[in-house]
Amino acid sequence: MQNLPAGFETLEKFADGWVLPDAVARMTRRQGSSIEEIRGFYDAMLPQGEAALAYLRQYPLGALPPEGERLLKLMLALAEIAPAVEWYNGPQVTDGFPVQRIHYLRQIPDNIAQA
Amino acid sequence: MNKISNPPVPGIGLTAKYPEIGTGPVDTAIYHDPAIFAKEMEAIFKRSWYMIGRVEQVQKPGDFFTYELPSFRQAILVCRDRDGTVNAFHNVCTHRGNLVEHRASGHCNGLFTCRFHGWSFDLRGRLAGMRDEEGFFGADKSRLGLKKIPMDIWEGFIFVSPVDEPYQTLTEFLGEQGVDTAGYPWGACTQSYQFETEIGCNWKLAVDSPSEVYHIPVLHPNSAAPTMTASGNPHGRLLGVELKGPHRTNSHYSVLAEPKPVQKLAYVHAQAAQNVVQQDLEYEFPKGINPTRSPWWTVDLITFFPALSFTLSAHMYTAHQVWPLAANRCLYQQRVFVRPAQNAAQRFGQENTMVEFRDVVMEDLSTLERIQRALDTGQIKQFHYHDHELALRHQHKAVTDILALYDREQAG
Repeated sequence: MQNLPAGFETLEKFADGWVLPDAVARMTRRQGSSIEEIRGFYDAMLPQGEAALAYLRQYPLGALPPEGERLLKLMLALAEIAPAVEWYNGPQVTDGFPVQRIHYLRQIPDNIAQA
Repeated sequence: MNKISNPPVPGIGLTAKYPEIGTGPVDTAIYHDPAIFAKEMEAIFKRSWYMIGRVEQVQKPGDFFTYELPSFRQAILVCRDRDGTVNAFHNVCTHRGNLVEHRASGHCNGLFTCRFHGWSFDLRGRLAGMRDEEGFFGADKSRLGLKKIPMDIWEGFIFVSPVDEPYQTLTEFLGEQGVDTAGYPWGACTQSYQFETEIGCNWKLAVDSPSEVYHIPVLHPNSAAPTMTASGNPHGRLLGVELKGPHRTNSHYSVLAEPKPVQKLAYVHAQAAQNVVQQDLEYEFPKGINPTRSPWWTVDLITFFPALSFTLSAHMYTAHQVWPLAANRCLYQQRVFVRPAQNAAQRFGQENTMVEFRDVVMEDLSTLERIQRALDTGQIKQFHYHDHELALRHQHKAVTDILALYDREQAG
């Protein structure tokens, strides 16, 4: 089964693990992953980043086909894990306040039209 | 980020502009003494106004949201009525005190119905239905409407007062800072994230946390430091500090640094707006935004005393609120406000902005409970503030001045 738009076949193997319902689920996924697993996802995503954004730019939110929505969610997961790779070399903020102690009261929905 | 090369390094001398502030070490008692905290609640917090949301949260008649004021444990119900007016009530049924509306937000068809005994109230708070009214001994329905909470709106932000007779109006409370920052397109950032956490520290430590940038190169070496300390500003000095009564603004310096790869995707390809100065703004900065008019400006920290601050750049902002709970406990809330995504790619820019701010805040908050332990155990009796930690020195003076005035008031 094809989960992602054509041209993004190399990312298919990440769809199961990194397409997540919302920002809190993405944060939890990052905290529960090793930096090796995170880096594997990052290294696969980064070369496709510009192409993915070019694809996503064609659609308003709420109008993405299912495979496009999954690609968007992979990109949102990339946003979540980027600091783990680019700033901390670990899933957690180095010597940081435990992110597990924060509670989200409001999130921006992943794929609903905004005005 | 700005591409101009060789910007001047900000100098020492911010504190000297305000000689009444002093330069000596300050006593730390106001950061941990329970008796001082109790007095702050009376002299400062009961006399303040609190931002609880934005008008966009109640766009259409019947839209509502509820909120609990953390320091005061008051439940509030905000809704828009059929005339388009925003109303705010204590979310307390006048029958037996249960919550009238238990949901966080939503749309109401015109009546809020208490889930305890079924009394119902209209969008203007009037008691519309008293189930089995015959059994209430002729109680006067017109006097049993929801109790209004003092509410006013500034630039689309809904503020309430926790006391029935506010010490001052919202306009007086916001003062010159409110006048000088009105006109920024606050309402253009219609999308927001909000998170909160309880921290074992005095409220002032949480306010202090983003209020000085002396810590930037050390606490944020890979995240915030690359842009804020680049090009000859190794200590991350500020462009300026403006003090306005108890309120204040820090203006932050920033220059172009090479973004990290995913940051670059967000900034260049997805309209992420943090740390990016747009050259062609569709609006003019009001006087109080980027007050130094420096070309190396990126961000202002705009603080409304006591505990509401905005980290604001040209196209987005965050709001930090600190709610005092005890001498050594507070609730920290952050809202990240961004512009609506015009397409699905820009949704990635929004998420990048939220994650970056959240992780930088996690770096900041790491220090607070450690400092509080040193305060509570008497290990640090004085703070020595750097010239560019002026905002903290100013907060200390604002608090101690208000407490002294309150003592004189009480003495009659």
